[in-house]
Amino acid sequence: MGGILSRENIIRWAALLVLLALIALFTALNPAFLSQRNLARIAIAAAPAMMVALGVTFVIVMGSIDLSMEGAVSLAAVLFCLLFVKLGGALLPWGWLAVPVIVLFGAFYGMLTGLVHVRLKIPSFMASLAMGFVGTGAAVMITGGEIVRIGDSTFRMLLTWRILGYPLMVYVAIACIFVALFIQKHTVLGRNFYAIGGGEELAHASGVNVRAVRIAGFALAGAFYAIGAIFQVAKLGQAEAATGANFMFVSITSVVVGGVALWGGVGGVWNAVVGVLIVNVIANGMVVIGLPNFLQDGVLGVLVILAVVLATDRRAVAFVK
Amino acid sequence: MNLQQIRQYMPWIALVVLVALVGIANPGFLRPANLLGLAGDIVPLFIMALGLTFAIYIGGIDLSVQSMANMITVVASVYLASLGGWVAVLCVGAGFALGMLSGFVTTRLFVPSFISTLAVGGICFSIAQWLSGNRALNMDAEQRNAVFGWMIGRTGIIPNELFIAGALLAICLFIERRTTLGRAFKAVGAGELAARASGINVARYKILAFAISGALAAIAGLMFSVKLSGGAPTIANGFLLPAIVAVLVGGTPLTGGVGGVLNTMIGTLIVAVIRASMLYFGIEATQQQMLFGLVLIVAIATTIDRSKLRTVK
Repeated sequence: MGGILSRENIIRWAALLVLLALIALFTALNPAFLSQRNLARIAIAAAPAMMVALGVTFVIVMGSIDLSMEGAVSLAAVLFCLLFVKLGGALLPWGWLAVPVIVLFGAFYGMLTGLVHVRLKIPSFMASLAMGFVGTGAAVMITGGEIVRIGDSTFRMLLTWRILGYPLMVYVAIACIFVALFIQKHTVLGRNFYAIGGGEELAHASGVNVRAVRIAGFALAGAFYAIGAIFQVAKLGQAEAATGANFMFVSITSVVVGGVALWGGVGGVWNAVVGVLIVNVIANGMVVIGLPNFLQDGVLGVLVILAVVLATDRRAVAFVK
Repeated sequence: MNLQQIRQYMPWIALVVLVALVGIANPGFLRPANLLGLAGDIVPLFIMALGLTFAIYIGGIDLSVQSMANMITVVASVYLASLGGWVAVLCVGAGFALGMLSGFVTTRLFVPSFISTLAVGGICFSIAQWLSGNRALNMDAEQRNAVFGWMIGRTGIIPNELFIAGALLAICLFIERRTTLGRAFKAVGAGELAARASGINVARYKILAFAISGALAAIAGLMFSVKLSGGAPTIANGFLLPAIVAVLVGGTPLTGGVGGVLNTMIGTLIVAVIRASMLYFGIEATQQQMLFGLVLIVAIATTIDRSKLRTVK
């Protein structure tokens, strides 16, 4: 190792450099890209995805994976809308209660995923995929395929009230990033995620309760998915069983592109933030320079393969399933 | 007979018990015409699950099958007019090639298969949106009947789909049981490191397994588009969950190495009977996905071979 081009340095800074290069590229192709209006558009698009990506980051750092976000977001969004309406349909006096309740529900749902994974000893990608199907299924069942709307203008201020040109949602999202950063850096739980991701057996031998930490990681992820769901509802003013559609692919791509290694222990919240911005800048930039936006998923697919390939230390991997 | 031996027959027992239960509750269910119709309707799903079996049999997973089928419905609808019957070759070729790409990325670039196939699925989705212009497409009815009419008619009371399914099952069964390829798949699924140590070119066989999975997903997509006489980038959504359930319920565990395509046939029939029984017992279609999700968890938990997983990640 050592030197400015060491593996660690590349992993730490490559994603940020890619982000800056992309911004420069799109601005050169169309200066309107860097206009404040467009930046706000990117920020609004990125806010819900950012929450989902932050959640899954903790799970990936542990060396597991969570594919349940589509179901979790759909279910949380639908339940949030229904509860909000039930509590009077306005943020004041009682509608706000729906926010903490749904975040707790998200944590509970994530905990269930964690329990299925840890207690039944099912690999996390399959346990979470199955729980995601259950979530979407539950959302379909509850709504009967209908759309649930929220019209409260106070709640929609998350989107409509702009400070310095950016909606309130963006500031809340930034606050959530700092919360995630705090959990990662300054809590025992955060450090235990890295301990498990770095080597589960070693962590176990050093007295970390691996099972409990894993379940806690999935619960934490679930809470962030719920926040993402609430943002998505604020953005669209409605929820349905398809609200969470496409969150899985985009959020996993973001996190991996940002430099969080799939096998755990490497990367963290900042990587996820940069990754989400990269993905959203690409999505927005393709529209701004006039490329059809359906190329997006293909570009992201290629990108995620590239990112995993670049981040993989070939010598350390014996075989891959 | 010990527990291990009984376990092997569990899927068969489950199928018979389910059929009997539904049959008692609703005798009309057991009419041959009804059973045959039921089996005919499930064929596209069965073909997809058949391919998926190979990916799971070697210890991987293919999450791209649904996007693949979606893409193929669009490809078939777009190129039927210009290529005629050759469109089938294009579809299967595209499925095989994209499956190979998944396998290549998994084995040569060391990307876990659930991520590589997810990424290839994203590529498929893009192609589908691009080709279709994000609209639902229709096939020319006359041309469809002329070229692919034989796929969807009936011979006597037997739906033609069942002959195709039977032929594909026979081919897959032959590959699995009677060729060195099938033996190699089993060796890789049973223990990859041991297989490598005995001189098997593991990467090549894994790539082939993913390619077969892609090709069969493409055939499933082609048949689906012929049935619906059209295609769209999201038309086959909802196939992935029952396809995985069919493979796992049939008795091919996520860890690979045991089970096989015959098990998948049983698994698919179980899925078909569960679906039909929901209809008879008045359970709404909206609850189906949730039920299958729970069935999936139970199926994995009961079939997975934990001795193969050193740490469960």
